[in-house]
Amino acid sequence: MAKLLDKQRYKCALGSMQTVQAIERAIPILHSGPGCAQKLADGNGSSGYFSPNIFPCTSINEKDVVFGGVKKLHSTIENSLKVIDADLYVVLTGCIPEIVGDDSGEVVSEFADADKPVIYAPTAGFKGNNYKGHEQIIDAIIDQYLKKTDNKEKGLVNIWADVPYQDLYWLGNLRALENLIKEIGLTPNTIFGYERGIKNVDKIASAEFNLLVSPWVSVKNMKKMEKKLGIPYLHYNTLPIGAFETSKFLREVGKFAGVDEKKVEDVITEHEKYYYYLIERFADLFLENRVINKQFTVVADAQYALGITKFLTNDLGLVPAKQFVTDDTPKEYREAITEEFKKLNYGLEAEVSFETDGYKIHEEIKSHDYHGYPLVLGGYYDREVTEDLKGNFLNISWPVKDKIVLNDAIVGYEGGIRLIEDIYTVASQRFN
Amino acid sequence: MAELRQIAIYGKGGIGKSTTTQNLTAGLVEHGKKVMVVGCDPKADSTRLLLGGLAQKTVLDTIREEGEDISLDRIMKEGFGGTKCVESGGPEPGVGCAGRGIITSINMLENLGAYTDDLDYVFYDVLGDVVCGGFAMPIREGKAKEIYIVASGEMMALYAANNISKGIQRYARTGGVRLGGIICNSRNVDRELDLLRAFSKELGTKLLYFVPRDNVVQHAEINKKTVIEYKPDSNQAQEYRNLAQAVIENTDFVIPTPMTQERLEEILMEYGMMELSDDYKI
Repeated sequence: MAKLLDKQRYKCALGSMQTVQAIERAIPILHSGPGCAQKLADGNGSSGYFSPNIFPCTSINEKDVVFGGVKKLHSTIENSLKVIDADLYVVLTGCIPEIVGDDSGEVVSEFADADKPVIYAPTAGFKGNNYKGHEQIIDAIIDQYLKKTDNKEKGLVNIWADVPYQDLYWLGNLRALENLIKEIGLTPNTIFGYERGIKNVDKIASAEFNLLVSPWVSVKNMKKMEKKLGIPYLHYNTLPIGAFETSKFLREVGKFAGVDEKKVEDVITEHEKYYYYLIERFADLFLENRVINKQFTVVADAQYALGITKFLTNDLGLVPAKQFVTDDTPKEYREAITEEFKKLNYGLEAEVSFETDGYKIHEEIKSHDYHGYPLVLGGYYDREVTEDLKGNFLNISWPVKDKIVLNDAIVGYEGGIRLIEDIYTVASQRFN
Repeated sequence: MAELRQIAIYGKGGIGKSTTTQNLTAGLVEHGKKVMVVGCDPKADSTRLLLGGLAQKTVLDTIREEGEDISLDRIMKEGFGGTKCVESGGPEPGVGCAGRGIITSINMLENLGAYTDDLDYVFYDVLGDVVCGGFAMPIREGKAKEIYIVASGEMMALYAANNISKGIQRYARTGGVRLGGIICNSRNVDRELDLLRAFSKELGTKLLYFVPRDNVVQHAEINKKTVIEYKPDSNQAQEYRNLAQAVIENTDFVIPTPMTQERLEEILMEYGMMELSDDYKI
């Protein structure tokens, strides 16, 4: 039976046009109705050389539905190549051409000899949300652009983590992961953000291994690359935030990559010393304030819900109430993710609900006894319900309306400190 | 003035829907009725006999080449006995969405004022099967309220007719569309009349008319004419006049009760068809 879905936290697969946008000098060419890009675009951090407002689009209408839109797609690609100076052109299809049955892949194949690479990803909205769309884009790059090579670069590691634009801290987090990997002597390779772009896409195939830092998004991409490009992968399912998880992360990556154990331990020791120095200086605030209560709830995609829950429990000693995963996680990954929420320090376990309906989430938050002011880290939708409960709210997941993030990160030792700053800034404001 | 009767003709591909519709139309014209025939098939051959050839540019071709700002006379031609003939047309085979094309065409006809008050009948001659929502357009939104299914005693024709009835049943629940009966376009199959009667009864409807097989129909087609125009004195011309009379007088409109595959096969067994025909397969 049809039901109302209230306050969903994702967009349709075509929303992954912003995954393309995050690859510097890559441009999406949309085969969709007019207005799709406008509605799917995220306002913050979307302007620049290319932005959703100027993405080339076939803007198909009724005539194209009846007669097929392939000619229009052909001319749109042809002219995009002429007037837009990009390094990679990614054709994305919306719902209408997929229903009508336009053979977009065939049209794109006609541009195999173009000066610049043109690839194609089917991202019809009915195929799923933008997390799955993100996977489709990476798949398209693997299938249509990358080629297997025996010429491997020693120590080169491809890093895959947050979904650009969907995850607030995607840029900073990727940079933070790069830096951590660099510190233990490996060479990171990422394709999103400043000065990465096509030159880093070209490096993917020569990496020694893929490092996926995510509970489920891109697991399929990793398997595909293992099969097609012969690149093994390490799946680290928790975004490392704060000292406990980051140290664990570095040890695991170091072990997988065969890095000298002492080198890894030296890096960890140096970071932890400084991390706990900072915590120690503010320990009285953390221990004695009566505003941040013990119990918290995270409402976010699996990536942030799991990472933040582990951080708040393991590093800050807070107690998890129910956690909500809002990204419509495919069923096959749910059990493993649920298990992960049980692996917390101090013998604690977090109950987790895979729930996409904001109304149901809010009803559960309202009915739970937090034994004081609730701490809710979630999307902007969750602000009001938290305020009604006189709780403390931090906007860390989509939609983001009361926070601007240019390159801030929550990953790593530094990232944990940033998140602590944000949480206790909210707390300290209540004394004023 | 009597109320406009909008009628959709469905049936298996190649069963003779277009031939039957046009000959029936010629019969109605002789009764002094004003008729419009709308071909809802990308092949655009639903009005050939009335127009004396494929003289018609389709609605969709016209829209494609000239845009939507067109006048009615660009897409509607006058055929035998003053019938109004329209072909919806469609995209090239294998591309686009023909179903949406039919929706577009019928909307265009409405916008251009093709449904004039002087019309007594509008026929929608719809291709083979109700493959998607677009081909159900003539029976949606209160357009055709009356449906006839053209069938024969052949297995696949009955299978298609039963399937089409499922579509009618769906739209009958919410709209006013009803099945007016089965028209048999005979293939000279053994016990065809009995079989069709039993089949119609099982569907909750009746066999409206049994059109016998006659080679004059093929001769008329080669000459791009309806039988009534080509050989007005032939027996077959009279059969089509009788069919027209049956349609005029018909008042039995029902919600069909489609049967299961098993029941359909039982009926075929009963009339000896299964044992006769080793090469019939489902």
